[in-house]
Order: sequence, then C-alpha cells, then structure tokens
Amino acid sequence: MATLELIGLTKKFAANNAAAVHDVNLNVGDGEFLCILGPSGCGKSTTLRMIGGFEEPTAGDVRIDGQSVVELPPNRRPTAMVFQKYTLWPHMRVFDNIAFGMRLHHVPKEHIDRDVKNALQMVGLSGYEQRYPSQLSGGEQQRVALARALVLQPKILLLDEPFSNLDALLRVRLREELHAIQRRIQITAIFVTHDQEEALSLADRIAVMNAGHLEQLDQPSQIYAYPKTLFVADFIGVMNIFNATRTGDSLRVGQYALKGATGVRGDSNLSIAVRPEDFTFGAPTDSHNSTEMWRGVIDQSIDLGHYRKVLVVVPGLFENETTALAHRLKVYMPKSADAKEGDSIALYPTRYLVYTDHTQPIEVRNQALRTSDETRRDDLSSVAVSSDALANSG
Amino acid sequence: MTRPYNRKKIFMATARALTAQPAPPAAAKRRDLSGLFGYVLIAPPVAIMLLLIFYPAIEAVIETIFVSDAQTGQTTLSLQNYIAFFQDPILRANLTFTVLVTLATVFMLFVVGYPLAMYLRFSKSRLAGTVQVLTLFPLFVPGVILAFALIRFLGTHGMFDTLLGIVGISGYRTPYLQPQGIVIALVWEHIPFTVLVLTAGLRQVEDAVIESARDVGASGWQIFTRILLPLTTRSALIVFCLNVIGVFGAFTLPYLLGPAQPMMMGVSMQQAFNNYQDRIGALTQAVLTFLICAAVGVLYVRTITRPRER
Repeated sequence: MATLELIGLTKKFAANNAAAVHDVNLNVGDGEFLCILGPSGCGKSTTLRMIGGFEEPTAGDVRIDGQSVVELPPNRRPTAMVFQKYTLWPHMRVFDNIAFGMRLHHVPKEHIDRDVKNALQMVGLSGYEQRYPSQLSGGEQQRVALARALVLQPKILLLDEPFSNLDALLRVRLREELHAIQRRIQITAIFVTHDQEEALSLADRIAVMNAGHLEQLDQPSQIYAYPKTLFVADFIGVMNIFNATRTGDSLRVGQYALKGATGVRGDSNLSIAVRPEDFTFGAPTDSHNSTEMWRGVIDQSIDLGHYRKVLVVVPGLFENETTALAHRLKVYMPKSADAKEGDSIALYPTRYLVYTDHTQPIEVRNQALRTSDETRRDDLSSVAVSSDALANSG
Repeated sequence: MTRPYNRKKIFMATARALTAQPAPPAAAKRRDLSGLFGYVLIAPPVAIMLLLIFYPAIEAVIETIFVSDAQTGQTTLSLQNYIAFFQDPILRANLTFTVLVTLATVFMLFVVGYPLAMYLRFSKSRLAGTVQVLTLFPLFVPGVILAFALIRFLGTHGMFDTLLGIVGISGYRTPYLQPQGIVIALVWEHIPFTVLVLTAGLRQVEDAVIESARDVGASGWQIFTRILLPLTTRSALIVFCLNVIGVFGAFTLPYLLGPAQPMMMGVSMQQAFNNYQDRIGALTQAVLTFLICAAVGVLYVRTITRPRER
C-alpha cells in the first residue's frame, strides 16, 4: 500500500507549445481512491500516463512512497494500469493474459495457478480461465483486465476510463464492483474519467482538471457545494451562471437586484452561480418587490422520477438574451410542485456563489426573502432533500 | 460465475416471438435479379481467366501426362516426362537451387522487412515519412533497370568495390553471377510489398495492447516475440506466400544476375524452350513450378479466409 505525490508535474508535447499538463501538484493518501475528472483533452489521461510511465514529464516529479519513479520505465514502476479498450491480448486465453506478467517475473507455476484463480474469483469470473478475449463481453474483458492488473500486487492501481466503452447499466455495476474490491484490498487507486457521476460515486477525493491545470482537489460533496472556479461550477452538476455587476454592496443580474451580497470586493464584473435546487419559487403576486423577485414563464416542465426539472424563461436576466437552452433558468422542484408549461412563476435564489477574477468564490445565503414568504418553505425543504440525493447519485 | 438474468435479452426474445411472421411461400417471392447483375459484372474477367490461364494450364498438364509413342503413334497416360525431369541431375539441381534461393530471399525479406515495418509503425519522427517513401521506391523501378544498376554498383570494379578500395579494403568478391546476387536483387524488389503488409499488420495492434504488456513487465524483445509476432502471423503468412510465389517464378533478375549453373526454374524453362527447343520439357518444368506455387497459394487462400480472432 502506498502514497503518491505529484510535484510540479508538467508535460509539453513538441507539436504545440501549450502545456498538456501544467504544474500539477497533488498528494494521494494510502488506500485513497482519487478520481481525475475533466473534459476530453484536459490532460487527465496524460497525467495518469505520466504516473504509469507511459509519458515522460517535461518537468516535475512522481513519487511513490516518497521514492521518485520518474526515471523508471512502466515495467519497473509499482503501478498497474487498466486501459479504456483493447486491453487484453487477443491471442492469449484469459489464464495466460493474467499469468503473463508473473511468467515474465519467473513466478513458480503453482503460485501462478493459485494467484490467477484468486484474481478471477475477485472479479467474479471463476471458470473463465480457458476462454479467449473474443469470447467475452466488454464488461468481462474489463474485469479480466482488472484481475490482470491486480494479480501483480501493484502499489498503485491506475484506471484510464476503464468503463467508458460499456453500456450505462453495466458501467454502474462494474463501478460498484470496483469500489468494493478497492475497499476490500485497500489499494491506492487513481481513476481517470470524464463522467462526473462516476467520479462522484467512486472517489474519496476528486481532482478536477481543465486545460492542463488542476482546478480543484476536494471531496465530492465539497466539489459540488463549493466549486472553487467557475469552470468547476459549470462542469460539475447542473449550474445556472449569470454575469453580474457590483455597485457598492449591491449586485445586479440583468435588470434584477440581488440582496444580501455583502462582503464582495474587487472587480465590478462578476459571475453568479446558482444550483437548480437553490431557488425559492411561487406564483407571482403584487406584493413581491419587482426588482428582487425574478419573474418568468415556464418553458418546459420535465418529470424526472424523483424530482421535476423546470426550465424558465426570465426576461431581462441574461445578457444577449436568446431562447437558446443556455439562457433558460434550470430549476429543480419537488415532484408535487404545480408547474405547468406556460405558467407564470416568480423565483429567487436562496443560495448562490459569487465568482470574481481574483478571490475565492463567496457563498451567499439569502434568508430574507425565504422567511418573508413562509408558504414556500415546505417546498424548499423537500427540494433540499432531493438535491442531496442528487448530489450523492451524481 | 452466475449471471443475473438479462432483462433486455429476455425482452428482445419475447418481442421477436410475438412479432414473428410465417415465412412467405417461396412461389410468391419475386425473383431476385440483382444477383444476376453481379454475375454479369464479373463475367469478363472470369472469361479471360478461363480462356488465357485455366485453359492453357490444363492443356499443358494434359500434354505432359499423355505421351505418344514415336513408333506406334499410340498415346498413353504416363508420368514419363516427370520421371525424366527428376532423373536429370542438372534439372534436379535447378529445382533445388530455386527452392533454396526462394527460402533465402523470403527469410532475408523478413529480416529486413520486420525492423522497417516496426520503425514505420512506432516512429514518431519526421524521418519516418522519408523512410516510407524509400521503402516504396523499388515499386517504380523495372527489373531490367534494377539488374543493370546492381551490376554497375556491385560488380567487380563497380561503385561498391571502389568505395571499399578508398577505405582500404581489398579482396572484394562480387555477388554478380553468384546466387547471392539473385537474392540481393529479389530482396530489393520485394521490400515494398513486404513492408506495406507487415506495417498494416502492426498498425492493427492497438497501442494499449503493447502498453499493457510493458506495464506488466515485458521488455522490448518480449513484446516483439510474445505480443507483436503472434498478432501479426496473418500478415506474415500473406507476406510469406506471395513472396514465395513471386520469387519462385522470377525470371529477369535471375537471368541477368545469376550464375550459369545451376539456374532458377524460370531461366531453366526459357532455356529448355528456346535453346533446346524442348517444348514438352519446358512444359513439364512449368507444371512442376505451377504445382509448387499452387500449394503455397492454397496456404495463402486459407490464411486470408480464416476468421479473425477479434
């Protein structure tokens, strides 16, 4: 079991001068499950390949248990990798695929027999020894690949989007099995994925990467609740993001004023991020202050089983207003909420994050309007429950 | 492992069972003319093959196995022509020589072709493009030109000899008019095809397949012998078969570069036909050459029609 340190890890490809991975620093604890999450081309796979020894860093160090391995080729590093696809050797039976590495290391035959049997049992494929990879389903192939990686008892298990070629149901099942195996044998694991649901459900901590930079390294719940950058806010979960301007202590979003945003300093141009579950809402009444309560019309109301997703057009909220999907407010409501397409609605964010260019995001909880509208509190609390469930399941 | 029941599969099977319809009666089926159109399209090449290849080939075989008695004029089925071939020490030597030159050439093609193909498959340097063009270059050089170029280059007092002299090496023995001369020329001529097919085979081996072998501890040599070679056997067999057939029947290069004796089958046939005016003897040699190449051809057809592992 082992710890992993990445120190100033940088990779530049000769073809273009921009760094594929730029100055990534992180520590992974013993037995920890870390997910590296990001859109395609963000450098997450390159980072993993540098840990495994398949890419040579331009600068920086990779340390396993405090020992630098950056000079070692993949076959001499205590890591084992599970690739995305084509991972098994098609001309070898399952047994030989798993035994291959041990045979190269001259492990005695009886040990090989025993270890292969145990490895196959661990991934639930006992009795598959004599099959060829072409006789296995995609999910079975990836399980064999996992068994093959684990049988050499690596210190660190590396997984490069191992389930992304599988269909959705199977992906979830294999994810759960991997999680159980990792917990049982307490191996340090680095899992690269572009699927946030996968990351949120597997990881002890998530490293979110964008354009070669490590944007945030945190526990899944923290990443969801307090995304450190606007990119993370937008990338993880669903988020409404608006441009805002600051005058003194008050913020303006389009034609609306946001109350309760004290403590925001610096730039006058800011971004506001609101989770879809962080709205209070109701039918518009005359008593609502017209510059604080957002007024709109429900464009779509989608029943998603355990909650309702409502898209609202709010005139005067976005800059350069269009009817594009990005310019509709996304709001989660309890299933019971009365929200029909075409209905008028008034809403207001109860919690939002303010992003400036220079500082950490500032969280604002707006109690004032919530308490002034008691009838909405019940609705809101139930939304909070369903949004928690959402955060956990992704 | 016990598999949980697959809901999707069960659903699909049920759906199929429910929507299945009895097959329409055969008489009601419209005659499909699209198949006929296909036959029309392939008719010309098939006709040419039958007329210009199969008919003369069969005629040749028949001519060699039916021997007419000079005195009685009676024609009998006999292997006499073939017995005569194998009883002639010179012709026997020619056949053995041809087999040996072919095997040596094909072996050298693998020795030269695999490293080149590996380089083209794995190199990321800009030089790879140049190497690719160079490996294809022999395709555009006619055999006669190649033969004379090699004589000028490798012959006694040729360019190579001169270069060796400059660096102080003397006693150069030219491969011209030696078996080696034929092998060198035939290797040069067959490199483009060899490298093209081997590179294509190597390109089908995914990077992840190689990297996972490196990951579990395989050295470069182990990856080559345990992963790359087994995964490119099909390409290697294709290269083997087509090169054997091409080299075995070669004429121009062996004729211009080879020794006077023994000679390769192509040259031997030409000599029997032209110099000795022995038409039946030349035919017998041709049929033997054809049979040997056909055996390799069967291996080739079996290789390319065998289902892939994946």
